[in-house]
Amino acid sequence: MRGLVTFVFALTPILGQAPPPVVAIRNARIVTVSGPAMAKGTVVVRNGLITEVGENVPAPADAWVVDGEGLTVYPGLVDAMGSIGIPEAAPAAAGGFSGGGGGRNAAGALPAPNQAGLPARGPEDRPLTSTWVRAADLVRGNERRVEALRNSGFTSAVSFPTGGIFTGQGAVINLAGENSSRMVLDNSAGQFVTLARGGFTAFPGSLMGTLAYIRQVFLDADHYKKAKELYAKAPQGLERPAYDRALEGVLESKRFLMPAVRGYEIDRMIRFAKEMGVPTMFYGLHEGYKAAPLLAKSGSTALVSLKWPEGARDRDPDDVDSMKDLELRENAPSTPAALAKAGVKFALYSDGSESVSRNIRRAIQKGLSTDDALRALTLTPAEIYGVADRIGSIEKGKIANLVVVKGDLFAERPQIQHVFVDGVRYDPPPPAAAAKPEVTQ
Amino acid sequence: MTRRILISMAACAATLVAQADKKAAAPAAAGADNSFFLRNVTVHPVTGPEVAGGAVLVKDGKIAEVGAKLVAPKGVKVVEGKGLHVWPGMINSATQLGLQEISSIRETVDTGEIGTFNPQLRPLIAVNPESEHLPVTRANGITSAMTMPASGGGGGSRSAGTSPLIPGHVSLMHLDGWTWEEMEIKRNAALMIQFPTIETRTFNFMEFTAGRTAFTEAKRFYDRRVKELNDYFDQARNYQKAKAVARPDFRIDLAFEAMLPVLDGKLPVIIPAPDERTIKGAIEFIEKQKLKGILANIGRPGTALELIKAKNIPVIIGESTDLPEQEDDAYDKNYARAADLHKAGIKFAFGTFDTQFARNLPFQAGIAAGYGLPPAEAVKAVTINAAEIWGIAGEYGSIEKGKWADLILTDGDLLEHKTSVKQMWIKGRAVSLENKHTKMYEKYLARP
Repeated sequence: MRGLVTFVFALTPILGQAPPPVVAIRNARIVTVSGPAMAKGTVVVRNGLITEVGENVPAPADAWVVDGEGLTVYPGLVDAMGSIGIPEAAPAAAGGFSGGGGGRNAAGALPAPNQAGLPARGPEDRPLTSTWVRAADLVRGNERRVEALRNSGFTSAVSFPTGGIFTGQGAVINLAGENSSRMVLDNSAGQFVTLARGGFTAFPGSLMGTLAYIRQVFLDADHYKKAKELYAKAPQGLERPAYDRALEGVLESKRFLMPAVRGYEIDRMIRFAKEMGVPTMFYGLHEGYKAAPLLAKSGSTALVSLKWPEGARDRDPDDVDSMKDLELRENAPSTPAALAKAGVKFALYSDGSESVSRNIRRAIQKGLSTDDALRALTLTPAEIYGVADRIGSIEKGKIANLVVVKGDLFAERPQIQHVFVDGVRYDPPPPAAAAKPEVTQ
Repeated sequence: MTRRILISMAACAATLVAQADKKAAAPAAAGADNSFFLRNVTVHPVTGPEVAGGAVLVKDGKIAEVGAKLVAPKGVKVVEGKGLHVWPGMINSATQLGLQEISSIRETVDTGEIGTFNPQLRPLIAVNPESEHLPVTRANGITSAMTMPASGGGGGSRSAGTSPLIPGHVSLMHLDGWTWEEMEIKRNAALMIQFPTIETRTFNFMEFTAGRTAFTEAKRFYDRRVKELNDYFDQARNYQKAKAVARPDFRIDLAFEAMLPVLDGKLPVIIPAPDERTIKGAIEFIEKQKLKGILANIGRPGTALELIKAKNIPVIIGESTDLPEQEDDAYDKNYARAADLHKAGIKFAFGTFDTQFARNLPFQAGIAAGYGLPPAEAVKAVTINAAEIWGIAGEYGSIEKGKWADLILTDGDLLEHKTSVKQMWIKGRAVSLENKHTKMYEKYLARP
């Protein structure tokens, strides 16, 4: 009797929620991503994990059985970069997450004053820097974008704090649960970097200043690390290195996400990253179709924004677009195909696009294979962030993040039937009701 | 005998005055010599063919004779013009000369007044005759200029409800005189209308980034402003009627009084119109209110050129030495605009639309000539065309008998950048060409 009570407690989540039911999706097409697709197979989900996948797997007796006739099961999609789940962090339309190559301040925030309360005057004031802020501590399951993104098939996202140059530490999260304790898969996804500027009055007031500042921070972090190591070995008789939370945040970062949208920015960032000698990923990449060989040669990892550049809405009919802009608008969606062809490791991120599925289809129309598209939305982001042992494919033992679609995920109007996050089923509203934008800005 | 001595003394005095003039660079004193005979000079009358080896006789400030076979009358000062050219003094048809000295120092800027409608304002009265820009501009052969109130008001921003629709009149003035009264050519040369534009581009000065507003919103604001302008004209017409009826309770309104010549079509309105849409809007407005119009600073006229021609509206061209504003524009878009207007058969004059660089007027004409405008037309666009547009062609703008002797003597073609101005006369009086630049030149040349 006592043993039974313990057993029940062990299974009951601390929050008192009922355990997710056992689910078996039977006779469905299963796209595992990590292996070949199965024309007719069964996936069994128990305790939030995938316990069985296969063509000849029987549904357990206690399972809620989904008849998979005409359905396809995919791994849940991973939004490879953004600020999903962080309240009030929606990036400005013109700002950071699209690449911010123009050096805009991602959150439109004014630069923080230095310790004397004056505008920052140099790198020593650590302007626009909050490396120590962790997205993992900020995410909320009820943030308005979470449900919308989940309804379009995303089960995980990588979120970063916004605002500034070094904005903070990202987190890989599952798109369900009330707060961090249920959502976070990894609290150190990397440091988000933009090329924001301090405006007229504060350092850095130019792109050159921002790049110089980023360089200085890396140099300082290197020195800080060495000084700390020396001190740790033999503190007696040594001057204690001054504690610097900005540099602590840098040293805790496994990787750095740097903006690069235009071809010349990509070229510049590849050189800059090499010079800095830190693990780097580039984001934005709309002109990646021009720089694919360059990215391949440097072995870079790319995060491509799905928010393809478009002409402004409600624009002046007399406005004349420059050839440069028209070319970018036409060709940006061919970036994923070009990267796939060149063998560049890349993932896609929604970037607040109004219709993620339409934007993915545009990339497919420009030559991206559906397999490559799916991989860039599942296993590749999982690999990039080091969580491929848990999410990104349909494999035994992985977290039960699944999308069940009637027909094909990349169809004109994908009919998403169920989304499983940590084994919990969510049913998006039927397409008619979901006619409004999937992700609102 | 005594008489002869007196005459020679007078001649001496005249020479002394001329020398003193040169030294002190003071405006010509009233009653100073304003008669002379310029000979052996190539005359460019502008309205007729050039006369090689010609002469110009100036009497009491006016041109008395022009021709090839003139003989100097007795007692008149002779100016030798061998190897030189004489042209009408140039007219800069858009400046803010005298109203602003250093644009970034507020105390020296007197270009604008608060309020949406200020038709009663006459910039001439605010002109500072001591402005350093006047002699600097003169030195390049410009004898007169239009000066205008600020066009931007509150920076043209949507938020600025106070940005003017009618900032005031524009004035025509000589670039020399002790007081503004002495400088005056025409106090009210036209009424300036700052016609609204649909502006979707915004700029955030804090972050130094460009932004956009929705077109619908910008259009709504534009429509509201156009209505506001039309309403004001309607009110002015009501005032005109009320004045004609002259009831005992009728009260004079200075702003509406200033509108009357405009409503009668006696005085033109000048409207800056940077693009096709604004040009069309402005012409529609001119037609609707039955006004006499001048368009200014047309940047992207597009198909509106035909309309401008059809309505016979003259144009003041600005920005013709600026870089093209859009990255795919042809490099010579602005240089060739004058030639485009000429081909379309539109009458135009040049204006620099600024103060510090008002002296660049001949370069503007020269560049236009280099990019397709016939040279003779380029010269007209800084002389007789301007005079015609401003309604002073009976007195200025060419070297013709009976006109005021606003003349410049040069060592070469007016349109050639290298050409320098050797002498200048305004109403027949020699005017100093000394200016801040020449003074600095002399000063540093003499540095030990």
